Amino acid sequence: MATETPKKQLQSPRKPKQSLNNLKVQSSPLSISLSPQTPQSLIPPQAPPRRSLRRTSLHFSSTPIEDSIEYEKSDPKTPRKAVEEIGKISGQSRKGQSHEERVKTPKTPKIPKSKRNDENRKTAKLGILGEGMVEAEVTFSSVTPEVLETKKRKRGEDKTVIPRAMATRSSKKKEKKRVYYKKVVYDEGEFDVGDDVYVKRREDASSDDEVPEMEECRVCFRAGRSVMIECDDCLGGFHLKCLKPPLKEVPEGDWVCGFCQAQKLGKYVEFPEPPEGKKRVRTLREKLLASDLWAARIESLWKEVDGSFWFRGRWYMIPEETACGRQPHNLRRELYRTNDCADIEMESIIRHCNVMSPKEYAKANDEGDDVFLCEYEYDIHWHSFKRIAEIDNDEADDEHADSDEDWNSSKEPDSGTDEDMEYEEESTRNAQARLSTAHLAANSRKGHFFGLQKIGTKKIPEHVRCHKQTVLERAKATLLLATLPKSLPCRNKEMEEIMAFVKGAICDDRCLGRCLYIHGVPGTGKTMSVLAVMRNLKSEVDAGSIRPYCFVEVNGLKLASPENIYRVIYEALTGHRVSWKKALQLLNERFSDGKKIGKEDDRPCILLIDELDLLVTRNQSVLYNILDWPTKPHSKLIVIGIANTMDLPEKLLPRISSRMGIQRLCFGPYNYQQLQEIISSRLKGIDAFEKQAVEFASRKVAAISGDARRALEICRRAADIADYRIKKQISTVNSSTGKDIVTMAEVDAAIQEMFQAPHVQVMKSCSKLSKIFLTAMVYELYKTGMGETTFEKVDT
Amino acid sequence: MPAIADRNSSSFKEIVAAIKSDKSGDIAGSNGCCIPQKRRLRSDAAAARESPVSTPMKLKSPCRRLNSSPNSPANGIKEDFSEKPVKKNWNPRDVEHMRAVKEALHVSTAPSTIVCREDEQKRVLEFCKACIEQEKAGSLYACGCPGTGKSLSMDKVKQQVIDWATKQEDLQPLEVLALNCTSLANTSEIFSKILGKHQPRKKTMGSTSPLQHLQKLYSNNQARAGSKMMLIIADELDYLITKDRAVLHDLFMLTTFPFSRCILIGIANSIDLADRFLPRLQSLNCKPMVVTFRAYSKDQILSILQERLLVLPYIVFQQQALELCARKVAAASGDMRKALCVCRSAMEILEAELRESASNLSLASVEEEFISQQTAPALEIFQSEENNTVRIDHMALALSKTFRSHIVDTIQSLPQHQQIILCSAVKFFRGGKKDSTVGELNKSYIDICKSAMIPPVGILEFSSMCRVLNDQGLFKLGQSRDDKSKRVTLKVDEADISFALQGVRFFRNCLQ
Repeated sequence: MATETPKKQLQSPRKPKQSLNNLKVQSSPLSISLSPQTPQSLIPPQAPPRRSLRRTSLHFSSTPIEDSIEYEKSDPKTPRKAVEEIGKISGQSRKGQSHEERVKTPKTPKIPKSKRNDENRKTAKLGILGEGMVEAEVTFSSVTPEVLETKKRKRGEDKTVIPRAMATRSSKKKEKKRVYYKKVVYDEGEFDVGDDVYVKRREDASSDDEVPEMEECRVCFRAGRSVMIECDDCLGGFHLKCLKPPLKEVPEGDWVCGFCQAQKLGKYVEFPEPPEGKKRVRTLREKLLASDLWAARIESLWKEVDGSFWFRGRWYMIPEETACGRQPHNLRRELYRTNDCADIEMESIIRHCNVMSPKEYAKANDEGDDVFLCEYEYDIHWHSFKRIAEIDNDEADDEHADSDEDWNSSKEPDSGTDEDMEYEEESTRNAQARLSTAHLAANSRKGHFFGLQKIGTKKIPEHVRCHKQTVLERAKATLLLATLPKSLPCRNKEMEEIMAFVKGAICDDRCLGRCLYIHGVPGTGKTMSVLAVMRNLKSEVDAGSIRPYCFVEVNGLKLASPENIYRVIYEALTGHRVSWKKALQLLNERFSDGKKIGKEDDRPCILLIDELDLLVTRNQSVLYNILDWPTKPHSKLIVIGIANTMDLPEKLLPRISSRMGIQRLCFGPYNYQQLQEIISSRLKGIDAFEKQAVEFASRKVAAISGDARRALEICRRAADIADYRIKKQISTVNSSTGKDIVTMAEVDAAIQEMFQAPHVQVMKSCSKLSKIFLTAMVYELYKTGMGETTFEKVDT
Repeated sequence: MPAIADRNSSSFKEIVAAIKSDKSGDIAGSNGCCIPQKRRLRSDAAAARESPVSTPMKLKSPCRRLNSSPNSPANGIKEDFSEKPVKKNWNPRDVEHMRAVKEALHVSTAPSTIVCREDEQKRVLEFCKACIEQEKAGSLYACGCPGTGKSLSMDKVKQQVIDWATKQEDLQPLEVLALNCTSLANTSEIFSKILGKHQPRKKTMGSTSPLQHLQKLYSNNQARAGSKMMLIIADELDYLITKDRAVLHDLFMLTTFPFSRCILIGIANSIDLADRFLPRLQSLNCKPMVVTFRAYSKDQILSILQERLLVLPYIVFQQQALELCARKVAAASGDMRKALCVCRSAMEILEAELRESASNLSLASVEEEFISQQTAPALEIFQSEENNTVRIDHMALALSKTFRSHIVDTIQSLPQHQQIILCSAVKFFRGGKKDSTVGELNKSYIDICKSAMIPPVGILEFSSMCRVLNDQGLFKLGQSRDDKSKRVTLKVDEADISFALQGVRFFRNCLQ
């Protein structure tokens, strides 16, 4: 069957993973409704609020319920169907209590209050509806065994549901007993970490609760076994024989159904109505793309204390839900992976789906209906896109180290000590924190985050596990460049200025475009300050006091050529990858001509360009274009440029510096008091350094460069040396007499190491004969007074 | 005082003197902040900003003078302005007011009428009309410094020409192509764009390039009947300059074909672009007509600013403040964008001051509530009356932020070793040498360090510090593969360095 129709086979292997059930499913469509295994039947017959609830507004349409009532009243021909509906509703009503409880508990803390109220009202309504029909349920429930099944499971679920807020509160106590798994067999389906699944929406459900394994033909509304063809535009399925004129075989290339063709030509199209009494059922795929379902990727699986299974899912998004909406280049089956995660019960998983990268997608022919394409990750906070391949490369090593540890416990779930488990909990938390900045607050227990910002070097994975950190180790960890300090001392004035600049620019209704040029020597916290300001603003956006805006960050060093910046900007704004020439044209259209493509395109855009001086080309047209956009009436573009060079605007062509404006901000080198404050603020609470030692290091650095990175490196190196000394002491003398504190001597050694020219060290350590040779040469040079000498003369 | 600062302060003196003579001296006592010395001015202004409450008498007089006797006009425009019915008081605390002013002063808001560029606009317009009426090709080249309203004027002219052309029944409709040459991915893309305007339907053949196609079109008599007049406005024309200058040349040559029907208007900064890059056009006797946009004079800047502020129903800027801005910008570059930016930053200074004084005042009022209940409200009233306009001291502060040279501050904030390097460089170049290499400079630096018993840093560190100084604009490093053999020249004046470092005895000794 599958081989006959290589193009889009809709019929047979609809559920490749649930092979257990495949036979039954294929045998007859009727059995679907009876199969207890399809978890979709759990979905309460309630109106589907938009999935965008997670983020934006929520539309409630309670039509399906009203529909079902109408069925009862006006459709006497199909009593059974109606009864079924009632039964389900009333079944739901019994569980009204539990349901309400679940609804009240916010799934993510981001849901605004109004929505929750909405839901409450919704459930209240349900309750009323349900009350009237309890009798009906009693009478007819036996007819619909599937409903009973549902109820049983629902009741079971009632016990296990822990309100999310409580779960997190109690997790501190209980987390030690959480057991992580790599693979879980649940509901006769196997779920691995890394699998993609359909997830039913928590507080809702879809209108039609029986989910067909096979899609129905759009014309005759029967599934049947005959070959179906899929329209490439609306994804509807058609029997070959139902088409007019009927097709003999599946055509090569794209095929678009007659309805879509007519619609494209602007005609009004009347879709064939389903036969009376039979509602058109939708497949899961259709529901997902209509945002009635969610898809998620399993990041980790665990069993709660009470025996319920949970997993942490990373959401997928359909293009309509992104800030820029569906765009012409989006494929029908395209999804975006987000950086937003949530803990979800296993109960709400419906079944597997396949989300593939474009390469896999191109190869996949017969995977069935649940195949989706995902190429980009969508940042829900900044509304920007990133290629998944790039991210994966970036994080491959870290991810590996962390996830390994996650999985260890699944092999030996009960053997780990308490401390062990605690550590694992933390490591997963760290991993999650990297994925989404929204969860940062949860991670602030130890006061530092990992790998979050782009300053300096990468985080070094902690290998030491069952080992209590000494003071020195903690000091070293906080002195890492990659750790983000709690507070950023000594740059308050500059940060305020940036904040005022950005706020002044984006708070206006018209959002006048502006430019800011930030300059300063390396290591004075330029990028860090801007990013910190952006984080602060982000929280204000979340609080609703500022209108949302998009934020694009570009580093000049990471561009292959200056022109590529157009491509990068365009890709970040829209998620579409085009050549830089095309991108330039499109960006010009957007910023200078004021042509808006999507609905959200008129939100202000902040463009942060690090290392601005690398964008200078021979005729400087790149900089000209970028700095010319903010002077256009409808651009709403704010450019923040960062560079080391102080007189960059003066070096540029006058027309460019004229457009750059006069907004400058200078980050001067730190003096020694500031460096001292920076180091001691990082080391707050850790008693590892002598005060004089810190001062010595900061004075030394301030005298030479005033680079904060340098100062931190020196302190860390000094801590290393001290650590080494102490360990040696312990091993030789079998007593820990030495103070484990970093003294002047170590700092001095670190400074020597860092500032001394390497050739001195080479000379110190070279062999005796070469030393003799060097002295001979010096002697010879003194004697002759020349700068050079021949080999012979040295030899003599 | 260093040379640059001297220059600044002297120009400032001149301006203040001019204002004084304009205002017949009655400003002299009014603002103590206009002391004609750069550094003093800054500190005084800062002091005034920090404690506006403590020095009320100083700040009060200019505003009062403005309100009570607005009859000291310097030119006709000002007279216009002051004779208007009394405008509402502007309230900078009101967000809406603030926003309106900022919008009026933003670069992107095009004013409805463009003052001070009437002549140029008329010339271009006449040229276009003549060309269209005679149905002949022509070329025009507009040049001028940045920020002198070239593109803006051309936009207006374009609109006027279109309006005019649609009114004339006997003429064919006009095709207009306005483009910025920087937005072209490839210089020769301009021809395909022109061709696309001519024949929006047809696709270009693969064999002939768009340029050849255009040339054929314009040299062919038959094509004439159907084709329309075409107005091409090319902004930033100098981006079309390639090594062989072919594109620019071909573009202007298009207008010389016998049946060509395009009017080319090029805009660029350099005044002699046509002469330098298009010598052959002269021999063909079809040199483009040149329209020069001069840098704005102080009166022009002033009137433009007033024109822009005219849309607002309230007084925002003090007259003198605007004039100071106009004079200063006109003296520096005559760049209108700069003038607008300075005005905006002056407003922001006022905004910050108000915020600060509000917090001060609330603090002060809480404190003084117990002592005397009368002074605090009085102060408050005083504040709200007097602080409602952008005064001359705000403007001076904004101007100094823009045009001040930062060299002295930069040098003073450098790390000590870098200061020593500067010192050694000064000593090294005293002998009349122009430049040297990093290696030699390092020797001189080590000498100074040894004489002061300071451990010198290694050569690697030294060259990286030289790079930092290069970034700061104090040194100029040449290109070389080897760090040691890079050429070094001092880019700032010796006097600047010695002035900046005179506070430290070590450096004083060093430099003597």
